[in-house]
Formats: sequence, C-alpha cells, structure tokens
Amino acid sequence: MSDAEETASNPVSEPLDLVRLCLDEVVSVKLRGDRELKGRLHAYDSHCNLVLGDVEETIYITEEDEHEQEVQRIIKKQSEMLFVRGDSVVLISPFQ
Amino acid sequence: MSFFGFDATLPRDRGHSSQAPGFGQAQDAFAGLSGRGAADDDDAIDFEETYDGLGDQLDETDDTFNDDTFGNDKAVGKDFDFAGQTSRVADAIEGEGLLWQAKQPPPNIHATRHTTQPAKPAKSGYEPYAQPTYIPDLEANASIWGINPKRQAQNQQAHQRQETNAAAAPAAPARKMMSLEEVEAMMLAQNKKPTPQSMPQAQPPPPAAAPQPQAQYPSHYGQMPSQQGGFSGPPQILQRPQQPPPSRPPPKAHAELPGHAIPPPGQQQPTILQRNRQSVPDQPARHTPVQQAQRPPSQPRQILQNPNRLSGHGQPITQPGQQKQGEFQRGPQLGPSHARGPSFPGVVTHPEQLLHLTEEERAAYLIEDAKRAKRNHKIHLLSKDNGLMTPQDKNFITRIQLQQLMAATGGLEEHGPEAALTEDFYYQVYCQIRGAPRQNPHQPASQFAQTYLFQTGGRYGMGRRHHRGGDNHMQRMEQQVQRAVEAAKAKPKNKQLVIEGSLGKISFSNSKTPKPLLNIKRPDHGDGAQGSGRRPSGVNAHGSTIIDRKTTLRNIENVYDCLMKLEDHERRMPPPLAENSDPQTIQAHMEWQTGTQRLHETLWQDLKIMEPINPNSLTPHPFIAILSHAKGKKAIPRIFRQIDEQQRIIMLTMIVVHLDMLSVVAKAVPSPDEPNLSPAIREEVELFSHAVMPPLFAHIAESPLNIVIGLLGLILDRTNLHLVTRTKIGMSLLTMLISRAELVKQSTPEMNPGDWEQWMQLYNRLFDAVEPVLPSIFPGSVNDTEDVYVWQFLAAMGVGASPEQQQRLVLGVKDRVMDTVAVSKALPAELASVRLGHVNLFMRAIGLDVELLG
Repeated sequence: MSDAEETASNPVSEPLDLVRLCLDEVVSVKLRGDRELKGRLHAYDSHCNLVLGDVEETIYITEEDEHEQEVQRIIKKQSEMLFVRGDSVVLISPFQ
Repeated sequence: MSFFGFDATLPRDRGHSSQAPGFGQAQDAFAGLSGRGAADDDDAIDFEETYDGLGDQLDETDDTFNDDTFGNDKAVGKDFDFAGQTSRVADAIEGEGLLWQAKQPPPNIHATRHTTQPAKPAKSGYEPYAQPTYIPDLEANASIWGINPKRQAQNQQAHQRQETNAAAAPAAPARKMMSLEEVEAMMLAQNKKPTPQSMPQAQPPPPAAAPQPQAQYPSHYGQMPSQQGGFSGPPQILQRPQQPPPSRPPPKAHAELPGHAIPPPGQQQPTILQRNRQSVPDQPARHTPVQQAQRPPSQPRQILQNPNRLSGHGQPITQPGQQKQGEFQRGPQLGPSHARGPSFPGVVTHPEQLLHLTEEERAAYLIEDAKRAKRNHKIHLLSKDNGLMTPQDKNFITRIQLQQLMAATGGLEEHGPEAALTEDFYYQVYCQIRGAPRQNPHQPASQFAQTYLFQTGGRYGMGRRHHRGGDNHMQRMEQQVQRAVEAAKAKPKNKQLVIEGSLGKISFSNSKTPKPLLNIKRPDHGDGAQGSGRRPSGVNAHGSTIIDRKTTLRNIENVYDCLMKLEDHERRMPPPLAENSDPQTIQAHMEWQTGTQRLHETLWQDLKIMEPINPNSLTPHPFIAILSHAKGKKAIPRIFRQIDEQQRIIMLTMIVVHLDMLSVVAKAVPSPDEPNLSPAIREEVELFSHAVMPPLFAHIAESPLNIVIGLLGLILDRTNLHLVTRTKIGMSLLTMLISRAELVKQSTPEMNPGDWEQWMQLYNRLFDAVEPVLPSIFPGSVNDTEDVYVWQFLAAMGVGASPEQQQRLVLGVKDRVMDTVAVSKALPAELASVRLGHVNLFMRAIGLDVELLG
C-alpha cells in the first residue's frame, strides 16, 4: 500500500483489514468448486467466514455432451442472505 | 344411625356419620362435600383443619340402593320453581316461624343469648372481602396456613360453649341446616300434599333432631331472636358484610312480613333484614343472618372461594342441619291447621313423604339431586382455593417470575451493564440510538439511560436536543410546515416508518391515509444496485476513482472505529460525581473526561470535515464522499450525538454548501428520458432522508433566524438551485429552512427588523430562482403519488409569499393542481382524498382550497 505512513489508527494493518473496507459494499467472492458470489458484505471473520446479503451465486459447470464435446453451463441463484464458510473462500474483491 | 341417616346420638357422641344431613344415602354426593358436615358439627374449627378427606373416600356405589330405600316406582317431578310458588311458601313458613318465635317465653331468649354470644367473635377475618369495594391488605391471612392459634382458640372456645349449651338442651342438631334442595323438595312436597292429615305422620321425630323435639324448640328458636333481634347492635355490624343469598327465602320472608315480626325481642329484626335485603341485588351469594351467626368461621372463606355456588346447592355443605331443624320443629308447632307448614319436613327426609310422591317424581328428584350434588362437589373441590391470592399477591409472583427470567438470561443484577451488553449488545445499542422506551425495569437504566436514551446530558453542550427516532424528526419537520400553514387541517403525516433492519415498513394511519398494513420493500435487484451504487464516487472523480474510493472507505472505517470507541467509552462512564465522592471516583471521572475529549477530537478529524473546500477539485470533499456511501450515511446520526453545537453547525453547513454535489441530489435529478429514479438511487435517497436528514432537521428546527438566513444564502450562492429544487432531499431542506424562518417570525414578534429584511431579500431571490422551474419541480407524472414534499415546499413558500408572489406561485403550479384534481377524481375515494389533501397543503397556505376548484 502506498500509504504506509498512516498512523497506528490506520484501519488497514493486516490483510483482512482490506476486507473491512468492503463492509456494507458489494463484493465478489470466488469460491472453490467453480462458484462465484456477488453480494453485499455484511460481516466477516478471521476465517473468512462471510455473511452476504442480496447474493447472486454463479455456478460454472462443465459437462460433456453426446459428442464428447465440453459444454459450459452456468447456473445462477439468488439468495437474500448467505453465510459462506471460510474454508471455501478463495478470493474476495470489491465489485467493480 | 337411624334409618334415614339422622344421628340419634347427642352431638358430643356423634362421629362423622352424622354428616348425612337427613337424606341418608341419597345425599351421597353432598356427603362427599361434607368434610363440611364435620365442620358444622363443630362450629369453631376451620374447615381446612377438620376436613379429613372422608368426602373423597365415600363410596358412591351405594347410590344403587337408593331405590331399595326409597322405592323407585315414581319419580319426583321437576316442577318445583323456587322463585315463584316455592319462595312464597317459604316466605309463609318463615313468617310462621317468626310468629311462633314471638310467642316463645322470654326466658329462653336469655338462655340462648348466652348460647350464641360466644359465636359472635367467630369472625373469620374474611368479612371485609365480602364487600365489593374492599381492597385486601397484602398480608396473607395466617389462618390459611393454619398458624393462627389465637383465633382458633377463640373459635374453639366458642364452639365449646355452644356445645355445652347444645348438650344441655338437646338442640344441638339445630345447627344442621337444610340445603336449598331440601327446602325446595319440601316445598314441593308441601304443594303436592297439603293435606294436614298427613302431617303428623310426616313428622316422626327426625333422628337428627333429637329424641324430644318439643324440648328443643325453646332453645333452638331462642337462638333466632337472639341473633336477629335480640342483639340489636352487634349483629348488625357482624352481619352486614355477609349478606343473605337472594335466593333463599328466609330473609326475604322476614323483610316482607314485618307485620309478623316478633314484638320486643325481635324489634331490631326488620332493620337488619331489610338492610341485608337491600344489598341483595349486588351480591349473589349470601347467607341468612341466622346462618351467619352460627356458621363456623371457615364458612366465609368458602363463600369467598366459591361465591356463586353457595347460594343454591352449595348450601347443604355449610348449613346442613340448622335450618332443617328449624323447619322440623316448626312443623308440629304450627300444627295441621297450617296447610303448608306442616308438610315442610317432608320430601326426602321422611319415607312417608316419599311415598306420597309419584315414583317418577321421586326418581327424577333423586337423580337430579345427586347430579347437582356431584357437580357442586366437583366445583367445590376445584374452587376451594379460589381467591386465596389477592391481586397484589399475583403481581408479586409475576414480578418474581420476571426477575428469575431476567436472572436466568444473564444475571444482569449481578454483573451490571457489562453483562447486559454482552448479553444483547445490539439490542442495547439499538435502544440507545433509537431512544426506545425501556421495556423492562431491568434494562440498565442508570448511566445507560442517562447516556443514551435521552441525550440531555449537557456535558457536551448538546443539552437541548432529545434525539429520538428519525421519524420524529420527519414528523417534527412536517408539523412545522403544518403549523406554518394556518388553514391546513390535513396533516401531512409521515406515512411510513421503516425500522432499520426490518424488511417491511410500518404504516401509520390517520383519517386521510388509512393504514395500508404492511408494505414490503421490493427486493433489490442485484444488478441495479451495483450498477448505480458504485457510480457516485466513480462519476465524481474521473480517473483516480479507485484510489479515492479506497480512501473514502478507509475514512469511513476510521470514523466507525472511533465512533465505536467513543460509544464504548461512554458506557464505561464512572458513577456520577457527588459532593462527597472519594478521590478515586473523581480521578476516574477526570480520566474518563479526558478520554472522551480525546476521542471526540479524533472523531472530528476522521470525519475530514475540516478539510479545505476546493471548489475546483474534481474529487468531492472527503466528507461529502463519506456521505455517498451507505455506511457513511448511517454513521451520521451516531456522529451527531457525539459532536457539540458548533460542530453540528459546521456539519450542516458543509452539507448545505455541497448540496448539489451530494450523491442523493446529483444522482437523483430525474432526467427527461428517465423520469423515474433507479431503485438504487431511490434507496439511497430513502436512506439519506432517514439517516442524515433527521438530525439536520432537528438542528434547523431550533436554529435562530440568522443561521437559517446563512444556510439559505449558501444554497443560493453556492449551489445549483435548479438541481436542488428538483430533488427530494434538496426540496426538503429548503422547506425546512423556509418554514423555520416563518415560524421564527410568527413566534417572536419583536424580531430584529434587520434580520427579517435580510430574510425577505433571500426569500425573494429564492422565489425568483424557483419560479421558472416550478413546473418541473414535481417528480414523475401526475400519477406519481410521491409528491408530498413538493406540496410541502409550495406550502412553505406560499405562507411567506406576498399576494403577488402567491399569484405567481399558483400560476406556476396551476397545471399540476388541476391535473392532480382531475386524476384524483378517477381514483378510489381514499387515494383521492390523500392526493387532494396534499394539494390542499399548498392551497390552504395561500388561502384557497381544492374544493373551490370543484
């Protein structure tokens, strides 16, 4: 970070504090198992357990059709509120 | 044991077997109740103590032999009607009894006076309860717990005296009374068989009434005058609380037959009885005075416990012997000459009587009787503890339970506010912020309430403000407009209350806007929310968007960080200082205040509000940037509580200066091609008006005119008024300022004319600036119902306008007015009245009414 000169009261002192900046903001979360979430981040903890609101979940499924061709299928789900267990979280980023 | 269940032995020799009052086994169910019977034998002993459960052990199967005993060929008719025929008979009997009584030689009275006098102190302590208005003391009646030896002793004594007396003159069984059933049955029999000839037969000496009935009369009857008339004074007092049952004939008879009333000895009688009778209507269950005086002390309690039962069938329990005896004895005395009297003893107690009945009548009677008796017994069992607890007792118990509940959920008592916070932190904080009323006495009230619930503190110079919910501020603002609009009767209420964190809105209802129950918020479309949600910061700062965004976010986090520390710090406030506080406390206070001071400074810095304003900057002012985030908006009310008056003015000024740069204004201007705002923007506006506006309004509502002038001047000078007037937030702010000025003018006549002059100049400037855009200040089409704020603004403008300006105003919005009126004609009545009410806000402000538009 460019602003390393910030004081001790700087809320960004460890990596997870960057997540803190995203509180109450819309974030995209990449999960194991070819899933992605996009929603408002309500809460998180040190295990990266997350609570998201107004979530859109995207699941990417690769299937083989009868001609042994790989076909990508996408399933989208909407959830009002979601608890995400931290062990499946790969990446959290502010939604652009 | 005699054939009919009367006990031939003297009272002192009697056991419990005598409880069967005279019905023999037919009275089984009554006998079940007659733990009572035992108590009756024994005036002075509490029912509770003597009840040995015999009633429960009774073998009801023996009922089957009733038929053997009484024959089963004819049933007793059910055609006795107490109130009519029967009671008249009873009256007559009673009258005769009195007559007879009157004829008794005086010596007996003296004798019996002694007999009954002791019974007088047998007060149960429950008499007061019989008075409808009586409010019981909280003390438990000790006798309930059987720990009232004194009274018992007293009672015992009384009883003993009575007993001896009874033994002397074998009138003891006199204490047995007749149940209503018995009375009725006898009356019935009487009506059926009035033949005097049958009487002597029907009068075999009732076993319970002792072997020599004649000998008893004097003493027994002597009791009556002694109680009713003999004691002129005391009995009245005694008897008043326990009034006779309306359904029982005897008192009535006394009262109605004053002519028959006994001469000298009974002189007082009519008075007493009449008084008793007077109160009959309001007290369903009462006892005859006769019964009262002789009643064992436990009786009143039973009345209490079972107030409705005793008047009728319940009576046999309490007075099985007394009355009956009276009747029995009366019979022969009155002789065959009296048609009805003699047959009295009849129906059930005497086989002869039963024989005279038809089999059906008899059977029916017995069955009926047994049924009622059983039912009464059950009711009695169930209700025997009724009324033991006073309402205060119940309250007390409830409180204990609540206390335990509270203790079980966290032991708030022991651990103080700390524990309460850990227990339900969010609720506590929510309460603080919303100023919700304390709902239970255990919510830590002390410093908590001081600190949060009412920010009266004055510690930081913000004493005059009470921060209540945002809705209050909205309402206050509206009310202010309201008050400014003299003629406006239609009150623009905040139609809905959105509770933070809930999915729905609570709608208020009034006559103008009937409550639409719940209004569920439309679920936010993910796409829309993100698309526009991000824009504010991005648009305002081309290029360096991300950096700025992150900085803003960091600022917000800093603010929250500090805010939380500050709020936590407030919770740790040491106990309030007193004059005699020890140095430690004072020291703690000093440190605490230093800490508060430091945190306040940090908070103020974190807000970045004092950053120099750079009008040419592409990026918005950091504070305004904070406001573009939802969490930034949400922080404002919490910040507002913490900062002092001066800082509030600064914050208000900052917002006003940047009014047209606020995302909720800049982004909320409807464009021609997109007249309706996107859901995300709507949400932001909503949030802003619920989070940021209330504190601002609250502040403006108490500002002096010069501040209002300054703020309006800033808006006119520094902002794009055309943008501002086309948005809800901008319009509301303007409305607030104008109406505040108007109110100041109205409330303080001795206002500085210079100030007012200045205000009028600004007002005219505003008017001139707004006039050209009047047609475009309405959101959406005519069908858009959310235009209240515009009408409010127009109303506020109209009140302060000169007649000429008013005319211009009307011209400017004429189309909209007419359209709205036209549209509302097509609407359902309620909706139409709402819309018209809004228009009327404005119309009445300038002295018109939509009605005039016809």
